[in-house]
Amino acid sequence: MLRQPLSADIRLKRRKRLDRAFHCLMLISASLVVIFLLLILGIILGKSLPALKISMITRTPGTGYYLGQEGGILNAIVGSMEITTGATLLALIIALPGVIFLNTYLKKKSAWAELIRLMLDILWGIPSIVYGAFGFLLMLTLHLRASLLAGMVTLALVELPILARSVDETMRLVPSELKEAAFSLGASRWQTATRVVLRQVFPGLITAILIALGRGLGDAASVLFTAGYTDRLTTSLLQPVATLPLAIFFQLNSPFPEVQQRAFASAAILTLMILAISLAARFLGRHLGRHRIK
Amino acid sequence: MVDHGRISLKGVNVFYGKNQVLKDISLNIPAHSITVIIGPSGCGKTTLLKCFNRLLDEVEEARVEGEILFDGQNIYAPEVDVTQVRKRMGLLSQKPQVLPMSIYENVAFGPRIHGLQNKKKIDHVVEKYLRLAGLWDEVKARLSEPASRLSIGQQQRLCLARGLAVEPEILLCDEPTSALDPQSSRNVEAQLLRLKENYTIVLVTHILRQARRLADYVAFLYLGELIEFGPASEVLTSPQDPRTRAYITGEIS
Ligand SMILES: Nc1ncnc2c1ncn2[C@@H]1O[C@H](COP(=O)(O)OP(=O)(O)O)[C@@H](O)[C@H]1O
Ligand SMILES: [Mg+2]
Repeated sequence: MLRQPLSADIRLKRRKRLDRAFHCLMLISASLVVIFLLLILGIILGKSLPALKISMITRTPGTGYYLGQEGGILNAIVGSMEITTGATLLALIIALPGVIFLNTYLKKKSAWAELIRLMLDILWGIPSIVYGAFGFLLMLTLHLRASLLAGMVTLALVELPILARSVDETMRLVPSELKEAAFSLGASRWQTATRVVLRQVFPGLITAILIALGRGLGDAASVLFTAGYTDRLTTSLLQPVATLPLAIFFQLNSPFPEVQQRAFASAAILTLMILAISLAARFLGRHLGRHRIK
Repeated sequence: MVDHGRISLKGVNVFYGKNQVLKDISLNIPAHSITVIIGPSGCGKTTLLKCFNRLLDEVEEARVEGEILFDGQNIYAPEVDVTQVRKRMGLLSQKPQVLPMSIYENVAFGPRIHGLQNKKKIDHVVEKYLRLAGLWDEVKARLSEPASRLSIGQQQRLCLARGLAVEPEILLCDEPTSALDPQSSRNVEAQLLRLKENYTIVLVTHILRQARRLADYVAFLYLGELIEFGPASEVLTSPQDPRTRAYITGEIS
């Protein structure tokens, strides 16, 4: 009888100590994340500082650029934007109807829906070099050369599962009462999906698109064999196209220190672009949801 | 001629999987009056309402047997277009569920999907039904604001306006005041009383006093069975069945 309060006291103390230990652990892990990000940004920016000139983003490589002469990587910046925008649009056109079908036409516990989700998850996990090899094979059979078109299609395949599953997850969260409200006004499935569900998930959709864009922008392996590389701006779907990841790769391979610095400058530019997209995803996700039902 | 009522149910059974929740319901809903369905929670009132506009079609595990005649036609017949059935019956649910769009767009949604395109006409419809639901004066200056910014009581009246805007003949109301404060509840009740002249109303409630205030006819549902149905004055004051009596005196709830 007398012991009980005592042991309760000890237990309370032990719990408090445990609590504090976990608190410390979480703090350490959170700071590690921040330190890591700052370290990467710091080192890359530091390394690239000597090469970071405005001509980097306003000019294409001149003669002797890879030996340290004048020029920039405008070709890769524009090329990356072209190929990623195209690929994301392509992936969206394929993914969106499929995801709508999954969420409004199939039953919630449909075996088909589960199978499709499983396959998308597997596709998500496949490394992009495999997509690159697949795209390369496709090119060979179709007698296509490495081009913006081939790279775009391959990159679209990489982005497709990311886009589809992200949108799918936000659509699954749409309350069934909301759909029922539309149905009970006499809306068809199609009308309910396009006019109500899509509006409800609009912020999520934009976020998913931006995440896919970011992923596409940074992917090197899928475009390595399929998109080729060029020092000029690409103006046709059938021309090869330069991309930032490959620009980094080629310049880093150079024995000239000036060129290596430019590789870091290219990396800094790519990182800033992705950072901007991430921030935009955050911002838009928050501000487009004006009409969303919580 | 015998009046069969606007809606007649004939031997309606509803199952969720193997679980039967409505048992052999037969019922005639009279036109231009308020028929109130009372009964303890879980007895199948919401399920019954969702049979009327075939919303149970969207519930995967639900199965409906029997016939529901609407002006003599079985709405469960295979050739019937379910969207047309629903267009003729407005549903006001327990929790107001506004659509993720502006106040104006919420009311315009129904008329638009049913083919109305003329901007002037839509403007007119929106104003007309917001007035009818008693909401116009409160929202006329902020029609383009998100509907989700309205108070919960205003949202329920917006749902009423939205339902009315598709010009239904029947209004199905599932405990439409249960999420509202007393003032808003009174407001919605007042609208319903005004509307019964032109509409046939089926109202589910578990508030007996509300049934007394609004009902022309009362149906008492208990454990999935229709125990008693008749004019409100009879069922609420001198019920025939001991179970109805027990419910009305508050012995079962
Ligand atoms: N989607 C569903 N799946 C399975 N059972 C359900 C479902 N919806 C309701 N039920 C069951 O059916 C019975 C009647 O429910 P409901 O019609 O909502 O009753 P009420 O509206 O009178 O409270 C309850 O026992 C409930 O648990
Ligand atoms: Mg209910």
